[in-house]
Amino acid sequence: MPLRMELLVCGGTGCQASNSNKVLEVLRQGIKEANLQDEVRVLMTGCFGFCEKGPIVKVMPDNIFYVEVDEESARKIVAEHVIKGRIVEEKIYKEPKTEERLPEQSSIPFYKKQIRIALRNCGKIDPENINEYIAADGYMALARVLTEMTPEEVIDIVKRSGLRGRGGGGFPTGLKWEATRKSKGDVKYVICNADEGDPGAFMDRSILEGDPH
Amino acid sequence: MIKSIEELKQIRDKYKDVLQNREAEENKIRILVGMATCGIAAGARDTINAIVDEVHKENINNAVVVQTGCMGFCYAEPTVEVRFPGKSPVLYGKVDAERGREIVRRHVKKGEVISEWVLKG
Repeated sequence: MPLRMELLVCGGTGCQASNSNKVLEVLRQGIKEANLQDEVRVLMTGCFGFCEKGPIVKVMPDNIFYVEVDEESARKIVAEHVIKGRIVEEKIYKEPKTEERLPEQSSIPFYKKQIRIALRNCGKIDPENINEYIAADGYMALARVLTEMTPEEVIDIVKRSGLRGRGGGGFPTGLKWEATRKSKGDVKYVICNADEGDPGAFMDRSILEGDPH
Repeated sequence: MIKSIEELKQIRDKYKDVLQNREAEENKIRILVGMATCGIAAGARDTINAIVDEVHKENINNAVVVQTGCMGFCYAEPTVEVRFPGKSPVLYGKVDAERGREIVRRHVKKGEVISEWVLKG
């Protein structure tokens, strides 16, 4: 039977530190007790980016974004929202100035001006399931590069794209690839440095955790 | 191991609808099923599961099925509302599993409103 509802629980480090693992467990337990496990699924996704308001639970396709969910409100989300279709009002983000409740992620000021590019799959796919990444067009560019393009074409297109490194230097990626191609040697190594030395910088880690393929 | 772009595309297409619920934010047809106590008592759970199943079977990828609370039409439960983007919603009453499937096939897929089942306020 196809699933009719999914509860996406943020598994980013911030949300895990504020107990999202327990929230996930309570949601799963509640859904099992209601005998809805074949219709409703709870899964852990990568970071939603709104760590200060975590743990985040997003209900889809209803498109309801819950913030600061604890064990008690997780039980309430199952009893009210999942079973009866009633939104748990007090866990909807409240805009501090207007005190308006904003149930949709896209209407929250924090998200309103964001267009997620590198992080587009974070908070959407199950990072531990490669098929979900492929379903979101994952590896399609790589497959084209390997089967349809020459190395020179790849370098040229990356150069023209304007793609740059995401560190402070912002080095043009195409130039880097061109230099590595021209350098001598039969065997070349790719070293992936995903360390984040800056305190409070979570961008690479968010990708590795939430969209690792 | 994946050896060709065709193989990769096959996997993508096979799992595409896994993400359908999660891409529900914009420009999709919404099928709302009343799942308050009155709805559930009248069999809305069978209705919603039949609708979800039919959407899946008919390969409809521009529609999502959402449950809602009580709309005040308790006498006509289960109720199902079909919302096309930019059009006024259509509310159906007494929708059992079979009617639910037909609403998916005729209204959602072909755009035909089944007027004899429409609830008149």
